Amino acid sequence: MQNMIKDKIRTGVPGLDEMLDGGLIPGRTYIVSGASGTGKTTLAMQFLIEGSTHGERVLYIALDEPPNEVKKNMVNLGWDLATIQVFDATPDVMSYDKTPVRDVSTERSVMYFKDVPDRIRITSDKSPADISINTVQEMLKQEMKVRRYSRVVVDSLTSLRYFYIKTSEENASMISFFRLLSDLNVTTLATVQLPEIAKPDVEAHMARGEIRLQKWLDGRGLVRGITIEKYRGSCHDPELRSMKMTSEGISVKLKQAEKKDVPPTDTGQAPLPEPLPEPPPVHQKAEPVPVPEPPPPEVPPPPSEQKPEAKG
Amino acid sequence: MTGLPVPRASTGIPGLDEMLNGGLIPGRPYVVSGTSGAGKTTLAIQFLQQGVRQAERALLVAVDEPPAEIRENVRSLGWDVGKIRILDVHPAAKAFNKRVSLVEVSAQRAVGSLREAGPNAKTEAMKQAAPEISIQSLQLMLKQELQETKYSRLVIDSLTSLKKLSQNMEDTNNSIMSLLRFVAESNVTALVITDLPDPTVLEPEIFLCRGEIRLHKRMVGSRTERCITIEKLRGSDHDLMPRPLTISDSGISVDPKKKISKAGLKTLQAFTQFSG
Repeated sequence: MQNMIKDKIRTGVPGLDEMLDGGLIPGRTYIVSGASGTGKTTLAMQFLIEGSTHGERVLYIALDEPPNEVKKNMVNLGWDLATIQVFDATPDVMSYDKTPVRDVSTERSVMYFKDVPDRIRITSDKSPADISINTVQEMLKQEMKVRRYSRVVVDSLTSLRYFYIKTSEENASMISFFRLLSDLNVTTLATVQLPEIAKPDVEAHMARGEIRLQKWLDGRGLVRGITIEKYRGSCHDPELRSMKMTSEGISVKLKQAEKKDVPPTDTGQAPLPEPLPEPPPVHQKAEPVPVPEPPPPEVPPPPSEQKPEAKG
Repeated sequence: MTGLPVPRASTGIPGLDEMLNGGLIPGRPYVVSGTSGAGKTTLAIQFLQQGVRQAERALLVAVDEPPAEIRENVRSLGWDVGKIRILDVHPAAKAFNKRVSLVEVSAQRAVGSLREAGPNAKTEAMKQAAPEISIQSLQLMLKQELQETKYSRLVIDSLTSLKKLSQNMEDTNNSIMSLLRFVAESNVTALVITDLPDPTVLEPEIFLCRGEIRLHKRMVGSRTERCITIEKLRGSDHDLMPRPLTISDSGISVDPKKKISKAGLKTLQAFTQFSG
């Protein structure tokens, strides 16, 4: 392991590189997964900034959030995105015409974040672009010929799956996309949006590693954590670590995430559900962890107020 | 926070702006989720009302409830909502009392034939056309409406109903993407109301929206406790704690300083992680 560390590239997230035993093995594709609002885009952007401050060429592929908004959001964090290149692959507003003009957009090109306009790109009435996974792949291939990028972020892979691929071709297209990325020999971080209780998908199998961002409620309110779910070819930190999102971005605390339980209640009210196991739901399970149903409250609540049954 | 201060749109809910670090970043779509009876529509109307108070134009897209009922409901709160404009896309209610104080903008827009319809087309044939409400037709209606009037606030109540009216899932996902994109391109601050998302399913609106405000209503012991959480807010700091929420005669208010009860927090924990 010792000699591998030298070859690894740093993520730029304080603490995370230590969890990854020095960083990411270059030229491979990794995913950053998590529920909404866990900090996937912020982490991915930190990864790009780390590269660009060391003179690497880095590319951000925007698939769901328009680049003008990403730019504005990151300016709030005081980050300089000037030398990060961005490809706006966000889909247009659909026209729902009976005879749609379906042309693959060739006019869109990669630009620097500093040149991204403040306003959102407005869909052309004449020719709304129909972007598919092929468009994105073509763009990537061409760009890689022109500029040798060392870091690419795909934000998000979930949008690519939901909006750019026909359902019937979903898995095959995803696998081919991963294959392309590994042929291009670029270190890629792809963000994957998870539902609150997640089951594994093809992305998790294909990626060479998965960094998972988590958030859950405890006695202090919302708490953030980070785990390395998978990392091929390297040893890594198996623990759940606590993570902070501040105005400087994301940082990981290397001591184990605190397992501070909710203080016991001394109210004379109805019994409450069993204390929760931590960390939050284990994603590998297709079904949520069964929790013993709490005994019925003293006064039966009306149906609309009952705790809905766990779905699975 | 460093960097340039971003102007914020006030939600009009006392306390909520503080949780949002000043309010919503304008021109973006947000989701308001919660179980039925949690106060989603009330919150949304307060948001529109705040716009009207600031001399902005505000539009309510009513899918779930006929506009007349919404008007009745908010009248009981003593609000004057006369200046909120409403787009009636309630599938069953094609016509309602013209003397209502909510200004009716589009009750006559026959959705089924909208593609050919001009802004004033009110033919019998159109009135009789089967109301085919979908996410697609709503986007087309909104486009027409927004071309005529410049709105800065928009509420869609609710997307969950619209989705139920759409059939093909692949189309639905793309339609939602397109609708939210349209909202962003129109530079409208929008609240999209949805049911509490099933935690095992990833709904596209949840990851496409720029923020999610979630309303909770739980039985804690023998009392109903209400609280509010900010699940996500892109480009901004936000309050990480659940805060108690009150619905009274003057509408919804939030206490951004107070913690919810320990028992309430525990119930919320159990709920957010193991059931939907």
